[in-house]
Amino acid sequence: MKIGDAARLLRRPRRQQILPGFGLTMGYTVTYLSLIVLIPLAAVVLSAYGLPLARWVSVLAAPRVLASFRLSVGASLIAALVNAVFGLLIAWVLTRYDFPGRRLLDALVDLPFALPTAVAGIALTTLYAPGGWLGRLLLPLGIKVAFTPLGVVVALSFISLPFVVRTLQPVIADLDQDLERAADTLGAGPLLVFRRVIFPALLPALITGSALAFSRALGEYGSVIFIAGNIPQVSEIVPLVIMTKLEQFQYREAAVVAVAMLLLSFAMMFMVNAAQLALQRRHLGKR
Amino acid sequence: MSIRIEQVTKLYQAIPVVNDVTVEIETGEFFVLLGPSGSGKSTLLRALAGLTHIDHGRMSLHGRDVTEMPARERGVGLVFQNYALFRHMTVADNIEFALRVRRLRAAERRRRRQELLQLVALEGYDERYPSQLSGGQQQRVAVARALAHEPAVLLLDEPFGALDAKIRVELRETVRAVQQRIGMTTILVTHDQEEAFALADRMGVMQMGRLLETGSPEELYRHPATRFVARFLGAANLFLGEVSDQGLRLGTAVLAPQRASVAATLGNEAVLLVRPEDIEIAARSGAPLSPPFAGGKVRALTFAGHQQYVSIELDELSGVETATADGTGVAVTVEALRSAAEQSAVALSVGTAVNLGVRRLHALPTPISSFRLLTTDVAQSAALEASPLLTQLLRSMQARVTRPRASKAHPERLDAGICVLPLEANTVAAIGAAVAHGARRLLCVPPLAALPARMLIYAGDEMRSSDLLALVSSAMRHLPVPTTAVTVQRAEASRSEVVEAQRRLLDTRADLRGAHGLDLRGERFMGDLRSWLREVAAQPEPVLIVLGLPAAPERLAEALKGELAPLFSPESRAAVLFAVEAQP
Repeated sequence: MKIGDAARLLRRPRRQQILPGFGLTMGYTVTYLSLIVLIPLAAVVLSAYGLPLARWVSVLAAPRVLASFRLSVGASLIAALVNAVFGLLIAWVLTRYDFPGRRLLDALVDLPFALPTAVAGIALTTLYAPGGWLGRLLLPLGIKVAFTPLGVVVALSFISLPFVVRTLQPVIADLDQDLERAADTLGAGPLLVFRRVIFPALLPALITGSALAFSRALGEYGSVIFIAGNIPQVSEIVPLVIMTKLEQFQYREAAVVAVAMLLLSFAMMFMVNAAQLALQRRHLGKR
Repeated sequence: MSIRIEQVTKLYQAIPVVNDVTVEIETGEFFVLLGPSGSGKSTLLRALAGLTHIDHGRMSLHGRDVTEMPARERGVGLVFQNYALFRHMTVADNIEFALRVRRLRAAERRRRRQELLQLVALEGYDERYPSQLSGGQQQRVAVARALAHEPAVLLLDEPFGALDAKIRVELRETVRAVQQRIGMTTILVTHDQEEAFALADRMGVMQMGRLLETGSPEELYRHPATRFVARFLGAANLFLGEVSDQGLRLGTAVLAPQRASVAATLGNEAVLLVRPEDIEIAARSGAPLSPPFAGGKVRALTFAGHQQYVSIELDELSGVETATADGTGVAVTVEALRSAAEQSAVALSVGTAVNLGVRRLHALPTPISSFRLLTTDVAQSAALEASPLLTQLLRSMQARVTRPRASKAHPERLDAGICVLPLEANTVAAIGAAVAHGARRLLCVPPLAALPARMLIYAGDEMRSSDLLALVSSAMRHLPVPTTAVTVQRAEASRSEVVEAQRRLLDTRADLRGAHGLDLRGERFMGDLRSWLREVAAQPEPVLIVLGLPAAPERLAEALKGELAPLFSPESRAAVLFAVEAQP
């Protein structure tokens, strides 16, 4: 056996590519991902490493930290769910109907992306503060938004909306309208068509979009800190806790909280992927 | 009557994509709607299913008017080209969908599902997902799903379009067998004539929104009324022939037609259809068994399995003229199809001289066999030929233009085909002269006329003549515009005159439907013919008016100068199709 044969055996048979350069591009890919993603993450874990388990527990079990986790996860979850409903609605309207100003409205969806988060935070705070336009109206009803957990939910809903809309739009556009027509001729009313035909087809994309929105909300900092008021144990989010610890030179403790957050995100990603896979198995019958 | 479609019109940006279609389909009948893409056949089917609203007309299923009914209440089963199965549901759930909607009990659903799966030969596939099935199997599930709620009619929208040729034929047979077993009234839409022949009890051919013709596959293949249908259903040789006392003259040969043809009474010129398999090829030394009509030379031979296509260039001496636009100027070419037996009887190679016989021929009942430009002015005839109306008619009729021959020795026969003239003040005399020389049909186009947006038929006393109706039907079949029959009534008309006008309108519609299967709308104008013409000719929207003309010279001159005068005014944008009354 010649050396060339051995090399050929090692290489997996794959489709002939028109553009050459797998080795080079793969090299850059690995290097880049390492520099930008893997090494910083590893650094976080490393900086928390070596701390005894008891310290881990005491840091994370501190009431202030626990409360911040509860708020961050809870508010992000609510924001993701709210956006799952309204994002679906917006994506549907923008894709299915044609009306004057559709493109403008479509561009508006990207605003939370494009806007510096601090701007969003300040805007929302002035709006919802007890003396603000909306806050003034809500106050007599006994609803306080700014400087409460509700304010956190509002800010998180604002910044995570585009994720749901932009994930759903192409899927809705690709949805075969003959499916609805078929269901219609088979006797199903509009609600039933939505529930039994359209919604199941959109579900995978809706889960992906909502999960993206949740992840984004979980890590959001800029827009929240203005409207939240940052009252310890009431309206303080995890990123702020990390920030506070850093400012007090408690680097290791900050790292511990950060690692916990990292694990939470990983768990989230894992769950979403698992759910996707299960749905695909069921819907597309792939074995 | 299971399905009744009456005057159904669907407009898309003011252009009718389905144009006054009227058709009735018997219970248990398999009806195929055939047509090229964009002919409106799918739109008509979806309108019947309730998926698109229509702008005019009525539809009923089993005597129940469904025009205003939403799709889910109509009780139709619809099968799509791309199957449209619910991909997140199993085969069982797909089929049971309509039953679940109707809240049937599980046991009942299961029983019905088993029955349907057996019907489409997919027993045991209940728990599969659509993605685990082949295209043919998916379409069978779609058929079963469409039948689950025991629909009144089954509608199939190009159901085999996405499948391989072999599976297509297989599934075709399944669908036909299922349809016959349960006796379901079915409409299938396709652009494939072979599919239509294989499935149809009766078929209809659509083009540009019009239902051109309906009939059994054999009827339409053998005896089509239009050049379009003749060519759409298979290879066709179309010649210009002549009706004489002895029979049909094709070139120098005189042939007896297979059956009395409407065309024989219409004029002296006729379009003759000869299918390639009806051409007999004999060696130059021998004579064909069937009536001979021309000699020629083999130009090309094409292998087609057990058959052979032969392309033959006719001798110029044969005098045969083609009726279609393509290939004018060069020698006339005939396409023939030979069976294996014929191939072994007479050996052919390119260049072989042959004699041709014709086994069977059919004269199309269209009065518009050809267009004859009645002007010797070069610029004028060029302008006429470039006019949008004539261009459209030539294209959709696949007809050709002939020019008057210059020689005085051979006086031009004007009673053949349709004469085309410019419509101007100074052509009044030319129209009179043409009629005096025997012209029976005239198309008069004003200079700079746009393509008509509407066609108006003047339902006068002479409306019911079969000649005028044939002309109207020909024009309707080839212009994608809304068509209206108009009666004109004096404001102070007596009761009997009103009744008479109304009856004329209804009779016109009934006659047109009876003789040509076409439908039109009716309208009444208060005033006289002259004021009506003045109104429609001057309006910005261009129209085509169909009118009868008296043949007697003095009455004709009187009409042209009197009530028809508005047509010749410089403001007029109306093109006119005149039918001259038959001389008693």
